[in-house]
Amino acid sequence: MKKKNLSVLATMICLAAPTFADNTLNIGFIVPNPIGEVGWDHELDRGRQMMEAHFGDNISVTAVDSVGEGPDATRMMNRMVAQGADMIFLGSFGHMNDGIALAKRNKDLAVIHAGGYLTGERFATYAPRHYQASYLCGMAAGYVAENAKLGIIAAFPLPEVIGMMNAYVLGAQSVNSAIDNVQVVWLNSWFDPARNRSAAEALISGGIDVLYSLFPGTPAAISTAEENGVYAVATLSNNSKFAPTKHLCAGQTHFGAIYIDYVNAMMNGNFTSGDTFAGIAEGAMEVAGLSLDLTDEQRIAIITKQDEMRAGTFDPFTGLITDNTGAEAVPEGVSLDISGIKSMNFLVQGLDTTLPN
Amino acid sequence: MDTIIFILTGTFATATPLLLAALGELVAEKSGIINLSIEGMMALSAAMGFAIVYTTGSHLLAFAVAAGLAMLLSAVFATLVMFFSANQVASGLAVGILGLGLSALLGRDYESLTLQAPSALSVPILSDIPILGSILFQQDIVVYMTITAGFGLMWIIQHSRVGLILRIVGENPHIAHNLGFNVLQVRFLAILFGGFMAGIAGAYASTILTPIWSQGMILGRGWIALALVVFGTWRVLRVMIGAYLFGALLLADLAVQTLNLGIPSQIMTSMPYAMTIVVLAIISRDTLRIRLNAPVSLGQNYRPNH
Repeated sequence: MKKKNLSVLATMICLAAPTFADNTLNIGFIVPNPIGEVGWDHELDRGRQMMEAHFGDNISVTAVDSVGEGPDATRMMNRMVAQGADMIFLGSFGHMNDGIALAKRNKDLAVIHAGGYLTGERFATYAPRHYQASYLCGMAAGYVAENAKLGIIAAFPLPEVIGMMNAYVLGAQSVNSAIDNVQVVWLNSWFDPARNRSAAEALISGGIDVLYSLFPGTPAAISTAEENGVYAVATLSNNSKFAPTKHLCAGQTHFGAIYIDYVNAMMNGNFTSGDTFAGIAEGAMEVAGLSLDLTDEQRIAIITKQDEMRAGTFDPFTGLITDNTGAEAVPEGVSLDISGIKSMNFLVQGLDTTLPN
Repeated sequence: MDTIIFILTGTFATATPLLLAALGELVAEKSGIINLSIEGMMALSAAMGFAIVYTTGSHLLAFAVAAGLAMLLSAVFATLVMFFSANQVASGLAVGILGLGLSALLGRDYESLTLQAPSALSVPILSDIPILGSILFQQDIVVYMTITAGFGLMWIIQHSRVGLILRIVGENPHIAHNLGFNVLQVRFLAILFGGFMAGIAGAYASTILTPIWSQGMILGRGWIALALVVFGTWRVLRVMIGAYLFGALLLADLAVQTLNLGIPSQIMTSMPYAMTIVVLAIISRDTLRIRLNAPVSLGQNYRPNH
């Protein structure tokens, strides 16, 4: 698929002026890394496929991968605009500033950027509510943790990651009150397969029951868990193929749901900007790959909770929530609003790690 | 205690790709050639090694082909610097970038796939010794071969005729030439050896240490190998100590975090690098010691006068 796209692009470059029908929406789609079997780039690409399947001939998509931040990305964006793109989707946090500049220069262009913190005129950003699936996978972890020992490998101590970690522990504690002293190893990297594997081994040697691989960039931790007979919980994609027997749960992202909304807005002429924070209710997130080791009752409990989140009757970040110093983080009966979730900087009780000041 | 055992057990494997590449570079540098393309050679051989194990399941074949490919790349470098007298630093960087690019191309269809890691060898009887048994006698075969290669090289460089020739060429190629040694041949072979070792290092990284391929997975380990040669002041034993120290610190970062001693993880993560700089600074205080072992003609091209 990706090769086909590259060759399509190459053809377009050669012809310089591709002929598009007037009623077709031209979309440029930039993915920062090679597209693997799971993970961030895989999900972005799957989202694109979902969008193309939904709109069919009404859109024409030019997709490229392995274009990380930097001059290559800038060139690619400008080239897409020169070729008549009406909309550009950017897949890397590092594309943000280039994307804003691009939207400023081109008055008819819409730019949709993944996972940034800035919005602007005709420049929208989006992020999935990963923490919702984290809570559900936390429940699964709580059910199977015989020794009540959980371990987490996490990328960077950012609010999004901290929120997922907190939701995971809250989910686990909701079904298993013995869950405490959850160990965390920070990689301080978005991508390092070797350290990822070593981190998994460090936690496993400490006797954990379930390993949560939180934005590790590679499935290395998941396959290490499988080798050692420890349950694995994955982010972004269903990682079952990397842990055929020990895959406990995954937060499966569906970026396509978000893309379809933006393309619809563009087609109806009412796209201005946007800051999408979409979750289970919007079809952008769900649990996947639940282990068959969970009993039917346990699976039903998880799915029921997911339905409650979809209906809006349950929110993981509803008080009383106590942080790991014993202080009140969220008061009784109060639910954190979006800005509270997006700026989360406390750890819930039971998380045994230190955040930098 | 468990934490210490974990660190010591994993240290050997973690340090093995660094040490292999560093030993190869050390030999090249001893002959007076600085080859900055280790990163690229490791990446290319990692991609090749992974692709072969993934398709055929043979680690032996993977190591052989990956080493051969890295040697081919180092031969390109050798040709540039010795027959075209190109600048060593610039040529090394260029060939390294070529290697990284080729690795991306070669690994494209294998992105984020995983392999079954071969199980470690258990040395009979010895591996049953409490604590020490698991640390020393339950490693994979490449770990043992790397240690053997290290001690072998130490002897060869210090005590054998081949080592003496290598050192003379690196100290003063003109004198070596006048003594009747073929400087270009010695240097060419030294560069090829560097490529061979970087190739083994790369294949080990992607098929045994982390049985996964992902573009960019070498992540600067080739540069660390290069730094280790300087860190070890061109002495094999010190390079070995440096590599294992660095490996231990890399694991200590992760293992200590599981204990939550209240140290921010960023500080732990920077430890291996900070410690290496500290040790480097301490060693550099004694400039005589460095001058004794540093090849005098390092980085200088040599053209024999006919």
